[in-house]
Amino acid sequence: MLNLIKNLTVILSFIICSQANANSIDTLERERAKTLNLILDKSISIGERKKRLEISKMRLLDLERMTINDKNINKNPNHRTIKAFKNFDLTFLVHSSLEKEKPISVIWLEKIGFTTENLMSTRVTRK
Amino acid sequence: MKNINLRFILIIITGFFYSVASFANNSLGEWKPQIVEKMYLLPPKHLNKVLNNDFNKSILALNLQTADNKIKDRIEKISELNSMLKGASKNEALEIKHQIIINKRDYIKDMSNLLTMKRQKLDTKKSFFQKIQKNIRNTSLNRKTNSEFLNNKKNALKRAESIDFKILDSTSHSLSKTSKYFKQYQLNKNAVKKLKLAIQKHPMSNKNILSKDPKNKMEAVKNYVHNIDTEISVLEMKEEMINYMAKIVALDAMSLAEEVAFDAQNQNEIVSTNYNDPVNVISVFTN
Repeated sequence: MLNLIKNLTVILSFIICSQANANSIDTLERERAKTLNLILDKSISIGERKKRLEISKMRLLDLERMTINDKNINKNPNHRTIKAFKNFDLTFLVHSSLEKEKPISVIWLEKIGFTTENLMSTRVTRK
Repeated sequence: MKNINLRFILIIITGFFYSVASFANNSLGEWKPQIVEKMYLLPPKHLNKVLNNDFNKSILALNLQTADNKIKDRIEKISELNSMLKGASKNEALEIKHQIIINKRDYIKDMSNLLTMKRQKLDTKKSFFQKIQKNIRNTSLNRKTNSEFLNNKKNALKRAESIDFKILDSTSHSLSKTSKYFKQYQLNKNAVKKLKLAIQKHPMSNKNILSKDPKNKMEAVKNYVHNIDTEISVLEMKEEMINYMAKIVALDAMSLAEEVAFDAQNQNEIVSTNYNDPVNVISVFTN
């Protein structure tokens, strides 16, 4: 009986603690990761990627708007939230791509340092 | 055992004082501002108005009004009695003076109650404004710590709003693919823009410019607290005045008592002759 109570307590506490407390930033980050995964996916055709990216872009745009307009995150923002707003171009990919009139993939690659200039200036060496 | 007794006595004594204090508080009425937290956002001038309206609904305000009326009645009665004093006979004058002293004593009692109630009102008002000061301080402190993040967020919002038309252009060819949120967002954003414009154009909005800045709001609230402090110090002076009035009434009462005693002595001297003295009974023997 005591063991049963102990097990129940552990299970209940696990359920309570694991309840999703989704932050708008977290949801956005999940969708962003999916989109980037889609951009880097070699297993699908160009046409398929374009089609799926279009849908993903719309969802990402909605989530970006929701995050930017979310007033709840102003109170005690966590480290991730602060960092996300510090790097606008990297966080809000759709907004940034529309602002700079460049595709999402280009914006993301540029921001992480993969620019054409950088790639052109590299050379193959043997160590 | 001694310690237990001492503790017991201490509990009784503190309990007695507590009950006396609460009795005094209830007899004069109470005022606990029933103001919603959102009201704190109001400009200080409006907040003061709301606070005054809230006070007017309280029991304390009602008691204050009653005490005020009572005092007016007493003053009228005292001046009426004073006017009657001129044409009165000696005995009547003594009675009128007695009535005047009684009314003066009651006036002092009522006035003292009135001042206590006014003090209570000002103290409550002061603590309310001090609470607001504390809130403003806390908010500005939070703002300072989050200022970098808030700036970034503000910039993000600006950038997002500036490309709203671009978003509309780019999605116009594929509007069927847009989500429900997208359509609602556009509609609501336009409505919010219209409302913001209306707020900007509103005549009262310009008047509140000063209160929107936390520094100015703090300054305005500080001014209110300062005014309340001055009112409290004026009340203290009035309390001192009441003390002097009470002393005068006490002296008047003493002089009246002496006057009455002196008259009674005189009357006694006239009516009753001392037969124990042989000089006073000579006539009895000579006639």
